[in-house]
Amino acid sequence: MDLVYWLPVLVGGVLSGASCGALGNYVVGMRVPFLAVCISHAALAGAVFGSLAGLSGPWMTLPALVTAMLTALSLGALEGRSRRLDTNIVIGILFSLSMGLAFLGIGLFGVLGRSDNDVRSLLWGSLNFCRWADVRWIAACAVLLVCFLTVFRKEMCAILFSRTHAAAAGVQVGLVWTAFLILTSAVLTVNFQTVGGLMIYSLITNPAVAAFQLTRGHDRALLTSVALGAASSLLGFLTAAWLDLPTGATIVILSSCLVVGAVLWARWMRFSAAVRPTC
Amino acid sequence: MSSPVIAVTDLEVVADRRRILNIRKLHIASSEVIAVLGPNGAGKSTLLRVLLGWRSANHGVVRVLGEDVLRARGLARARLRRRVGYVPQETVVDHASPLTVREVVAIGRTGTAGLFRPLRTRDWNLVDTWLARMELLDLKNARYAELSGGERRKVLLARVMVQEPQLLLLDEPTAFLDLAWRERIVTTLDDLYRQTGVTTLLVCHELEVLPPSCRRVVLLRGGECCRDGTPEEALTDESIEDLYGSRMQVWHGNQRHALLPIADGAD
Repeated sequence: MDLVYWLPVLVGGVLSGASCGALGNYVVGMRVPFLAVCISHAALAGAVFGSLAGLSGPWMTLPALVTAMLTALSLGALEGRSRRLDTNIVIGILFSLSMGLAFLGIGLFGVLGRSDNDVRSLLWGSLNFCRWADVRWIAACAVLLVCFLTVFRKEMCAILFSRTHAAAAGVQVGLVWTAFLILTSAVLTVNFQTVGGLMIYSLITNPAVAAFQLTRGHDRALLTSVALGAASSLLGFLTAAWLDLPTGATIVILSSCLVVGAVLWARWMRFSAAVRPTC
Repeated sequence: MSSPVIAVTDLEVVADRRRILNIRKLHIASSEVIAVLGPNGAGKSTLLRVLLGWRSANHGVVRVLGEDVLRARGLARARLRRRVGYVPQETVVDHASPLTVREVVAIGRTGTAGLFRPLRTRDWNLVDTWLARMELLDLKNARYAELSGGERRKVLLARVMVQEPQLLLLDEPTAFLDLAWRERIVTTLDDLYRQTGVTTLLVCHELEVLPPSCRRVVLLRGGECCRDGTPEEALTDESIEDLYGSRMQVWHGNQRHALLPIADGAD
């Protein structure tokens, strides 16, 4: 294995897994896992129209970031305005709009007689082509995420339990939640271009679900989710390299296996606790 | 005379062209325990939402702890909420949620502590004190999601008490509980009042859940206050029939209250 070539892929993948694991602790805990898919596809729409406007390479991140943040802010503004607009319903509306815009943009490449190779690679990501320049962006977002979760730890714990209770306790839910959504859109935009939408969804959902099965307590669940996200990427990468399999697909399947393992382990622990003799 | 903890004047709330609240005057003094009773759709929960600033009004003035709730925004509103302990009727929590009982109770200190400041030793001591007072110490490391309905209700009461609130707003604190847990919560509410003297407004359907410390009852019907007085004055056979459309006999004794069915043919 050419370590010089593969090291940034490995580091990028592990950082992506850890960042997505941290975000997943909240979006899964708040039962809005589709949020990640919605925002990452809004980023795709932005990147597609950026490419249509003549941008390429890292410059496509700018319109992607703008549309991802606009989507996140729209979600924050729309949800809770009416009892008829549940968070998941708003996510569904914004997701379908993002997908519509993205595929409209991709269709326009054909109409204009231009190549859409750049944007097609965004659909599935390109982890194996991750370079140190990409890793720097992913690392910067990961550091921002760590800072945010350190500063707003208690507020995010309250929001994770219930936004109603958090607001009732005098937490400035609107401010912290909006900041979280903006940060989420930045993290997802940067990671999305490297690892792709499907892998983001699995790395956000699976490690958090597995962590919730294995641990109790906010901090433990968060750290376990981060560790499982990073481990999914690392083990998935090594397995793919060893068996000569596609990297992204292997990581996704491995993270799903982690959930199955965690559920079985949690059930075994509950069963053994139930049959343990008490004196 | 001290200013009222809650002062509602000429409050009108209209939704979908329907007037759901129309209260001309409702003042609640400090250290009072007041119950708001009424049938479904009477406007009880809307009244609580207005008091919390979660619902705007079409007309009127609502002052809670001296603050104009309908005009307070952003930080001012958050500061007011830190002084008000609110327990909603039911909290939907994911069964896989990892938060422990101690963490849920600590949420009560989150707003008070303020942004950019972690919870300090005093905050955690207060959390542990209320866990002990509510007899929840054995469960402090258990997942909140795995508790029974009654245990959850006690945790949420502990959560609001660590806020050191000046006003408690309780939305049907015994809803969905069995008889044993209902009585435990009623006793807990009574003990809370006797220990702290906190002004309490509770919204409920049933007379049986009024704690002995509740010495004032307001009946809401169609968004309007139709009776206001001591439980013995407000809760009569006639007022219950007027409110719910069912003939029942109201029993009062030992500062508790209950509805008894009237046998067929009895007058």
